[in-house]
Amino acid sequence: MIIRGFFSALIALAVLVQPTSADETCMSPYMAKIVGQEDYVYIWTLGLEGVGDGEDKLVTVDVNPDSETYAQVIHSISMGGRHEAHHSGLTDDRRFLWASGLDTSKIFIFDVHTDPAAPKLHRTIDDFVEKTGGVVGPHTNYALPGRMLITGLSNNRDHGGRTGMAEYTNGGDFITSVWMPTDDNLQGAEKSGSFADGYGYDARALPRRNVLVTSSFTGWNNYMMNLGKMMGDAEAMKRFGNTVVIWDLHSRKPKKILDVPGAPLEIRCAWGSRSNYCFTTTALTSKVWLIYEDEAGEWQAKAVADIGDASKIPLPVDISISADDNHLWINTWNDGLTRLYDISDPFAPKQIMEEQIGEQVNMVSQSWDGERVYFTSSLLANWDKTSASEGNDLQYFKLYKWDGKSLTPEFNLDFVELGLGAPHQMRFGAHALYGGMTAQSPSGLVTTPPAH
Amino acid sequence: MVLAPGYAPLSFTPPEPGSYALPAMGSAADGAVIDSDGNSAQLHDFLGGKPTVLSFIFTTCDDVNGCPLATYVMRSVQDALQADPATANKARLVSFSFDPVFDTPDVIDAYGSQFRAGEFDWQFLTTEGATTLDPILNAYGQWVIRDYDENGEYMGTMSHILRVFLIDESRQIRNIYSTSFLHADTVANDVRSLLMEAAAEPSADTGS
Repeated sequence: MIIRGFFSALIALAVLVQPTSADETCMSPYMAKIVGQEDYVYIWTLGLEGVGDGEDKLVTVDVNPDSETYAQVIHSISMGGRHEAHHSGLTDDRRFLWASGLDTSKIFIFDVHTDPAAPKLHRTIDDFVEKTGGVVGPHTNYALPGRMLITGLSNNRDHGGRTGMAEYTNGGDFITSVWMPTDDNLQGAEKSGSFADGYGYDARALPRRNVLVTSSFTGWNNYMMNLGKMMGDAEAMKRFGNTVVIWDLHSRKPKKILDVPGAPLEIRCAWGSRSNYCFTTTALTSKVWLIYEDEAGEWQAKAVADIGDASKIPLPVDISISADDNHLWINTWNDGLTRLYDISDPFAPKQIMEEQIGEQVNMVSQSWDGERVYFTSSLLANWDKTSASEGNDLQYFKLYKWDGKSLTPEFNLDFVELGLGAPHQMRFGAHALYGGMTAQSPSGLVTTPPAH
Repeated sequence: MVLAPGYAPLSFTPPEPGSYALPAMGSAADGAVIDSDGNSAQLHDFLGGKPTVLSFIFTTCDDVNGCPLATYVMRSVQDALQADPATANKARLVSFSFDPVFDTPDVIDAYGSQFRAGEFDWQFLTTEGATTLDPILNAYGQWVIRDYDENGEYMGTMSHILRVFLIDESRQIRNIYSTSFLHADTVANDVRSLLMEAAAEPSADTGS
């Protein structure tokens, strides 16, 4: 097992790391990385009525092929109800996994270091809306040094798309919140196009450029509505985000609002030490957008590729950039395809393959070496498909091997058959992150032999 | 080996001191320590009253992007602040060892003398052992992975996430830096921001 420190070849962990060139390729640059074989995948899973206990769960799957329980669910924690489990993220030291609920706005903090094979609930934040002054729908849980940045999707005044972001200590104490810039209050930001909608979704940092990039989706009224009903509601369909915001990372002040129409979702920034750009995809207009710093030092947005036939609404969802910045996996939820783009020229991405993963596909996570690609199926409780056109391939966790040319199925866990629910965000765990011996003290001076 | 950004000129123009907020992240923890003269003390004796930059290190650390980076950046912060009459002698640096086995008071004193400029308030601290060290490290979220061989023998090496803390005059943590976010220019600006904040609020609790 090798652990990698942070962006490019820079190193944060002193001894275990190697100077080699997550989803391991999409994690915060502040975080230690697993660049060898991961031991576990933690899957934040939506509860489904009539499936098992019907509650949201954190499910742990053993993914180490040398393990006797390889490809098996080895642990599951039920969360006492359904919260619209969606995204999760690790703290910068990977000791805690934060997992949030878009409906109840609760955030569950799991201890994944005491026993990485059996996460336990450490703390529940149930006053997120109150503490943040009305932010609803905690989405991205993103590691900054010693703290977590939480993006919101909505607000408690009208449950629309205007929202904000919050910061918490790694231990779960509230620090501060900031609202996204709007026409009413640009907060000093430059409105470079037609929109300043104040919507939120994902966030990614480029520390060496002192930049934080945020995207925009839609509010509680839409993401909790039945998909068919919403698609038929012309007014509801107008209430999607059309912006990406460039922030001063150090001051947390918005600098520039870029037009990126059609609900830009996940943001993935390049790792290269001189690659000052990020990608996002738009759910409604089915395009790849490049968010980049031009030669004059100005941040710009440019549509650089189409994703399938936009008229058929393929609905691009999760994306995953390779560690060498040459490839981008793009899942299109509606047709269940994963598509691989060559992004070696970031201004001209080209689709080079596609593969049917299931009836629907949402999240994609790849190992640092890109050889293992994991997929899950669920998007939102009220948007997910409820019956497969053939077979039973709706709610799954799948591993494929990638050899640079094709995907080969390795295993498939049916989360309905297993009584678990609808799997969403995946995060990786590894024993080696916490030492060969099991430390009982922060200094590592008091230890017990490893359990595994 | 690619060096951390803290070794190179900053690649962006940082926000002006005082132009941004540094919201409090909680109280800086206390605990029993030993100073570089071998005196028993409390960590709080070396925090509060003025902005303090606190780093956790061990003197034998050979990862250039780990503890040596922290010390390099802190020395640069020292030089920047001392070069300006408005900030000279108005801040403090604390380097705290998490290796009490090797880093005795004599060792940290010799280590510190290489970096401290004149009488600048740069403290080098250690502890008696795990009993006093662990509560402090736990409070600051600073965990260390010691490397043990298959027989359970310590191999003399350890790993850790680099953490450097900015602590204000009231002993509140105001920022945390790690390897990719640690640069003397931004740390010094944060210290200046705290000094400006304190100057604007003369009635604030000094924490002393």
